[in-house]
Amino acid sequence: MDTPETLATRDGWRLLRRVLMEQRRGLIVGVIVGLLWAVGKVSVPQITKLGIDRGSEGNGSLLFWTGLVVAAAVIAGIFTAFRRWVAFRESRWIETRLREQIFDHLLRLHVGYHDRTQTGQLMSRASSDLQQLQAFVVMIPITLSNLAMIVAVVVLLFVSQPYLALFALAPLPLVNVLASRFSRRIHPAVLAVQQEQAQLATVVEESVSGVRVIKGFGAEGVQFAKVSTEADDIQRVSLEAARIRSRFLPALDVLPALGLVAVLGIGGHRVIDGAMTVGDLVKFNAYITMLIWPLRNLAMTVALGQRASVALMRVNEVLSTPSLVVDPESPTRLPAATIDRPVGEVRFRDVVFAYEGSDPVIDGFDLSIPAGHAVALVGATGSGKSTLVRLLTRFHDVKSGAIEIDGVDVRSMSLTDLRSAVGIVFEDTFLFHDPVRDNIAFARPEASDDVVHGAARLAGAHEFITALPEGYDTILGERGYSLSGGQRQRIAIARAIVAEPRVLVLDDATSAVDPSKEHEIREAMTTVMRGRTTIVIAHRPGTIALADTVVLLDGGRAVAVGSHDELLATNDRYRQVLAAWAVRDEDGDDDAPTPSPDSTTAVVESRRAVSRSADGEVV
Amino acid sequence: MWGMAAISEEDRLDRVQTLRTLRRSYDLARPQRRILHSALTLVLVSTLVTLAGPLLLRYAIDHGIKDGNGRVLNWLIVVYLGITAFGYGVGRLQYLAINRAGEGFLRTLRLTVFERLQRQSMAFFDREKAGVLVSRMTNDIESMGELIQFGLLQFVSAFLLLVLAVIVLFVMSWQLALVALVVLPLLVLASVRFQKQSNRAYLDVREKVGDNLSTLQEGITGVRVIQAYGQQDARSRRFHSTNRALFDSHMHSVKVSTWYFGLVEFAGIAATGAIIGIGGWLVHRDAVSIGTITAFILLLANLFDPVQQLSQLYNTVQSSTAALHKLFLIVDAKPDVDEVEHPTPLPARGAIDVVDVTFSYETADRPALRGVSITVADGERLALVGPTGAGKSTLAKLMARLYDPSMVDGTCGTVSFGGVDLRQSSMSDLRRRIVVVPQEGFCFGGTIRENVRIARPTATDAEVERALASIGALERFADFPEGLDTEVRERGSRLSAGERQLVALARAALVDPAVLVLDEATSNLDPGTEAVVEHALESLMNGRTVIVVAHRLSTVRRADRIAVVDHGELVELGSHDQLVTLGGRYAALASAWEASQPH
Ligand SMILES: Nc1ncnc2c1ncn2[C@@H]1O[C@H](COP(=O)(O)OP(=O)(O)OP(=O)(O)O)[C@@H](O)[C@H]1O
Ligand SMILES: Nc1ncnc2c1ncn2[C@@H]1O[C@H](COP(=O)(O)OP(=O)(O)OP(=O)(O)O)[C@@H](O)[C@H]1O
Ligand SMILES: [Mg+2]
Ligand SMILES: [Mg+2]
Repeated sequence: MDTPETLATRDGWRLLRRVLMEQRRGLIVGVIVGLLWAVGKVSVPQITKLGIDRGSEGNGSLLFWTGLVVAAAVIAGIFTAFRRWVAFRESRWIETRLREQIFDHLLRLHVGYHDRTQTGQLMSRASSDLQQLQAFVVMIPITLSNLAMIVAVVVLLFVSQPYLALFALAPLPLVNVLASRFSRRIHPAVLAVQQEQAQLATVVEESVSGVRVIKGFGAEGVQFAKVSTEADDIQRVSLEAARIRSRFLPALDVLPALGLVAVLGIGGHRVIDGAMTVGDLVKFNAYITMLIWPLRNLAMTVALGQRASVALMRVNEVLSTPSLVVDPESPTRLPAATIDRPVGEVRFRDVVFAYEGSDPVIDGFDLSIPAGHAVALVGATGSGKSTLVRLLTRFHDVKSGAIEIDGVDVRSMSLTDLRSAVGIVFEDTFLFHDPVRDNIAFARPEASDDVVHGAARLAGAHEFITALPEGYDTILGERGYSLSGGQRQRIAIARAIVAEPRVLVLDDATSAVDPSKEHEIREAMTTVMRGRTTIVIAHRPGTIALADTVVLLDGGRAVAVGSHDELLATNDRYRQVLAAWAVRDEDGDDDAPTPSPDSTTAVVESRRAVSRSADGEVV
Repeated sequence: MWGMAAISEEDRLDRVQTLRTLRRSYDLARPQRRILHSALTLVLVSTLVTLAGPLLLRYAIDHGIKDGNGRVLNWLIVVYLGITAFGYGVGRLQYLAINRAGEGFLRTLRLTVFERLQRQSMAFFDREKAGVLVSRMTNDIESMGELIQFGLLQFVSAFLLLVLAVIVLFVMSWQLALVALVVLPLLVLASVRFQKQSNRAYLDVREKVGDNLSTLQEGITGVRVIQAYGQQDARSRRFHSTNRALFDSHMHSVKVSTWYFGLVEFAGIAATGAIIGIGGWLVHRDAVSIGTITAFILLLANLFDPVQQLSQLYNTVQSSTAALHKLFLIVDAKPDVDEVEHPTPLPARGAIDVVDVTFSYETADRPALRGVSITVADGERLALVGPTGAGKSTLAKLMARLYDPSMVDGTCGTVSFGGVDLRQSSMSDLRRRIVVVPQEGFCFGGTIRENVRIARPTATDAEVERALASIGALERFADFPEGLDTEVRERGSRLSAGERQLVALARAALVDPAVLVLDEATSNLDPGTEAVVEHALESLMNGRTVIVVAHRLSTVRRADRIAVVDHGELVELGSHDQLVTLGGRYAALASAWEASQPH
C-alpha cells in the first residue's frame, strides 16, 4: 500500500519529469555538447601516451603530438564552457518559470489557506526549494557527459590493460558509494541547520519589530535567553553536520589515491617485467586522476536528485492545492444600475460560518440592506464583525445560508465582478512599496490624477500627502516612508473610494484617527457614503451616527436592528457594548437610561470605580 | 551560496580596516584559539601530505620501476599507503577542529551582537531599518558560517599548496617549471579579471534576488488586499518582470564566467600537453626523468585547483570581512542610553523630577521638547494632553529613560527618580521601578500565555491567568479550543483586532512597578470591553505613580493633574477644574472632546 509520503514523493518525481520534458530540447543540446567535451577530455591521456611512447622513438614528430594535445584542449575548453552555459540556462529557466507559477497560484488561493500558512514557509517554497531543483537540473547535462566519459575511460583502460584496469578501478566505485551515502547522511543535518537558523531569524525579527514592547517591560533578558537557546541549537546541529562531513569528505579525498597505489604497485611490476610501457603507466595515472571528480559528482547528483524531488514535492503541494474559492462555471452577471433601480442591495440569509477547528463564529446571521443604505455593524470584540466582511467578499465561503448582492448569490458571480462590487477598508492597513498615487489608484491603475486627488480629498488625506517630501510620488510600505496609523487608514479609505464599489465596507477604519480629528473625516465620509451601500464597523458613537441603521451582532446573529437612539433606549446588550451610560455620565448627561443590573454587572462596577476615583483624586 | 559572494565598492574595506577587523575577530575567538591553532597546524600537515604523493610516485618510477628494482617499489607502496592513511586521519581532525573553532566563534558572535543590539537605545532603532538589522544577525553571520565550513580551510590550504607546489616544481626541474609557469601567469591574470567581472555580476544578482524576494513577500503578505481589489493579474505581471530580470542577471553572470571556465579547462589540458611534449623531449636528452614528468602532471592538477579556488574565495573572504566589520560596528556602537560603570541603586519609591529637559530626535530639525520641567509626586497620577505631535509621548519616554535629554549649550537637563539621576542607575534596576506599557497590540509568535508573560518572565501560569482575568479577558481566551495555549500565529493573525489589544493590555496587569507609564493608544476595543479594561487598569494604578498620555476625556478626568504640552513646551499644569476655569488651551481641548461625543 502507498503511504501518503511515497505518494507525495511520486507526485514530486512526476512534476520533475514534466518540468524536464518541457525543457527537453535545451537539455538534449546540453548533453550533446557535454559528449563532445568528453571526447576532447578523454583523448588527451591517450594522445599523451602515444606521444611518450612514439614521440620518444620518433624524430621531431613530438610537435605533432603536442599539437594534437592542444587541439584536444581547445575542444574540451570550448565545450566545457558551452556545456556550462546551456546547463545554467535551462536550469535557471525552469526555476524562473516555476517561481512564477507558484506566485500566480498563491495570489489566487483562498484566504483560509494563507491564514494557516506562514509567510516564511511560502517564501522558502518559492526560493530555497526551487534552488534545490535548480542545483539538480544544472547537473543533468554535466552528469550525463561525465557518465559518458567514465564509460569511455573504463572501456579504454580495460582494452589496453584489462588486468591492471581491474585493480586500478576497484577502489573507484567505493568513491561513488561513499559519496552517495554521505549525501544521504548529510541532508537531514543540513536541513536541521537551516531550520535552526530560521528559528533564530524569527526570534531576532520579533525582537527588532517588537522593540517597544521589549524595552518598555525591560524584557531583553527573555529575548536573549531565546536567542542563546537558538544559538546553542545551531552550534549543536552544525557540529553534528561537521562530524558527518569529517567522516566522509577526507575519505573521498583519499580513496582515489588507492587506485594510484594499485597502478603503481601492479603496473610498476608489469613495467619491470616488460609487460607494459612507462607511457601506459603514466596514462593510467592520468585517467585515474581524471575519474575522481566525475565519480564524486555522480554520487552528488543522485543525492541532489533526491533532494530536488523532496523540494519539488513541497512545491507540488502548493501548486496542487485547489483554491476553495473559485469562479462558478457560468457566472451570473450583476444587474446594471438603472434610474429606477439603484444597485448595491446586500442580503445575508441565515449565514453560518466557523473557522477550521473552532465553534461557529457566525450562526444564523440574517440581514437585508437596501441599496444605497448605510448600516453600522456594532458588536463586542471578537464577535465576528470582521469575519462577516470576509464572508461578503468571499475570503471564506459560508458553511450554510447565503449572501447576495442585488439578488445574486456571491458564489454564483465571478470573483472579479464580486470584488469590484465590494470595496473594503481593512482594520489592519496594508500599503504597498509603491508611490502614494499607485497605492490609492490600486484598484484602477489607469485612474487619472484628478480622480486620485479627489479620492484623497474625500478621505481627508490630500493635505498631509501634499506635505510629504515627494507628495503623491512618495514611496510607502514597510521599507518606505512611514506614516502614522491614522494617515495610513486615510490612504486605505481613498483606495476604496477610487474603486467605486457598489458596496463600501469600512472595518474600524477610523480607529487610529485621533478622536479630536475624527469629525473632519466624518464629514468627508458622509459625502462618500451618499447614495452608496455602506457597512461601517465602528465603536465610536460619532461614527455610528453616520449610518441610517444600526445592527447589533451578538452570538453570531443580528440580535437587534434599529436606529442608534432606539437601540440605546431598548437594548441592554447594545448599551453594554457601547458602554453608553458611562460616556454620558462623564459628559454630565444624567438622563441616560439605567442599565438592568443583572446583565451588565461588570460595567456597572466599573462605573462606580470611575466615579469614586474621580471624586477622590482630583486635586 | 558562498561561491556567489560579492562585495560592493562602498563596502570594500581598505587594508588597515581589514587587518583591524581580522585582529578583532581573533580577539573575539580567544576561547577557540587553541583549537584554531591546531586546526591551522593540521592544514599545514595535510598540505604536505598532498604534496608527498606525487613526489613518492616520482621516486617510485625513477628508482623502482626504471631501475627494475621491485623491492624499492614495494617499500614505496607501503610508505604511500601509510601516508594516505595518515592523510585521512589528519584530514578528519582538521575538519573537526576548524568547525569546532568556527561554530564556537559564530556562537560568541551571535550572542555578542544580539546582546549589544538589545542594549541600543530607541534612537538607534528609530534610525536603523529593521530589515537591515535582522539580516546582519542572520544572513551575514550565516554566510560567515559557510565561509568557515568551506572557505577558510580551502583558502589557507589553497594558498599553501600554491606556494609549496611552485617551489617543489622548481626544485624538481626548473626547465619544466618554466614551461608550467608560462601557463600559470595566464591563469592568474584570467582569474583576477574573472574575479572582478564575476564580483560585479554577482552583486547585480544579489540585488535582483533582493528585489525579487521583496516582491514575492509583498505579494504573499498583501494577498488579502490584492484579492479584495481583484489585482491578481497586475501583481503577477509585476512579479514576472522582477523574476525575469533576475533570470537575465543570472544568465549574465554565467556569461561572464563561461569563458573563464573554458579557459581554465583549456589551460589545464594544454599545460599537461606541453609538459609531456617538452618533457618527453627533455627525457630524451636525459635532462629530466619520466618520474619527474609524472609527478609534474599530478602536481599541476594540484596547482590549477588552488588558483581557481583562490579567485572565488577572494570575493568570499572580502565580503565576509566586510560583514564582520559591520557587525563590529553594531558591537562597538556605544548605546546613546548607556549604563554607568558603578550604578547608584534606586530607592523603592520616589518622585520623578524632570528638570529643564530639552530633547531632539536625531532625524528632526527642531527639538521635540524644549526646557520642560515638571515634578510628579510619589503616587500621583499625571495626564499628558496636547495636539498631535506636541511631544507627549516623547516626554513620557524620557521619564522612563528610553531616551536621554539632549545637550544644549553645554548643559543638559535631568530626569531623576527619588533623587537619583536616571543616567546613574542600572537599566535592570530602572525597569523594575519604571515600566512603559505601549498599548499597540504587538503580538509575538507563540501562545497567548507566552505573549502575556513577556511582561514578567518569572510570572507563574496562575499569575498570567489572574492578569487576563483582571481585564475581563480570561474567559474569552480560555474558551478557545486550545485555551491560553492557542498559537496566535504571525503578528497575532489568529486573533481579532481587539483580542490582540487585550493580550497586550494583560501584560500591563502582570507587572508590579512603582511607576507606570502608559501611552494610551486609540483603540480597537468596543467601549464595553474598554470600560472593563479601564476599570482593571484603575486598580492597577492605585498606589502607584502613573504618567499617562491621554487621548480620552475619561482618562484625563481621573488624573490628579493634567499637563498640557504644545510644540514641545509645557504650557499648562493643574487639575481639570483649575484648567477649565483658566480658560486656556486645555479648556478648548476639553470642549472639542466633548463635542465629539454623541448627543
Ligand atoms: N483565522 C482565524 N482562525 C480561527 N479563528 C479566528 C480567525 N480569525 C478570527 N478568529 C476568531 O473569530 C472570532 C471573530 O473574529 P473577528 O475578527 O471577526 O472579530 P471582530 O468582531 O472583528 O472583533 P474586533 O472588534 O476585535 O475586530 C474571534 O474570536 C477570533 O478569535
Ligand atoms: N522616532 C522619531 N524620530 C523623529 N521624530 C520623531 C520621532 N518620534 C516623534 N517624532 C517627532 O517629534 C514630535 C513629537 O512627537 P510625539 O510622538 O512626542 O508626539 P505626541 O504628542 O505623542 O503626538 P500624538 O498625539 O500624535 O501621539 C513630532 O513632531 C514627531 O513627528
Ligand atoms: Mg475586527
Ligand atoms: Mg504619542
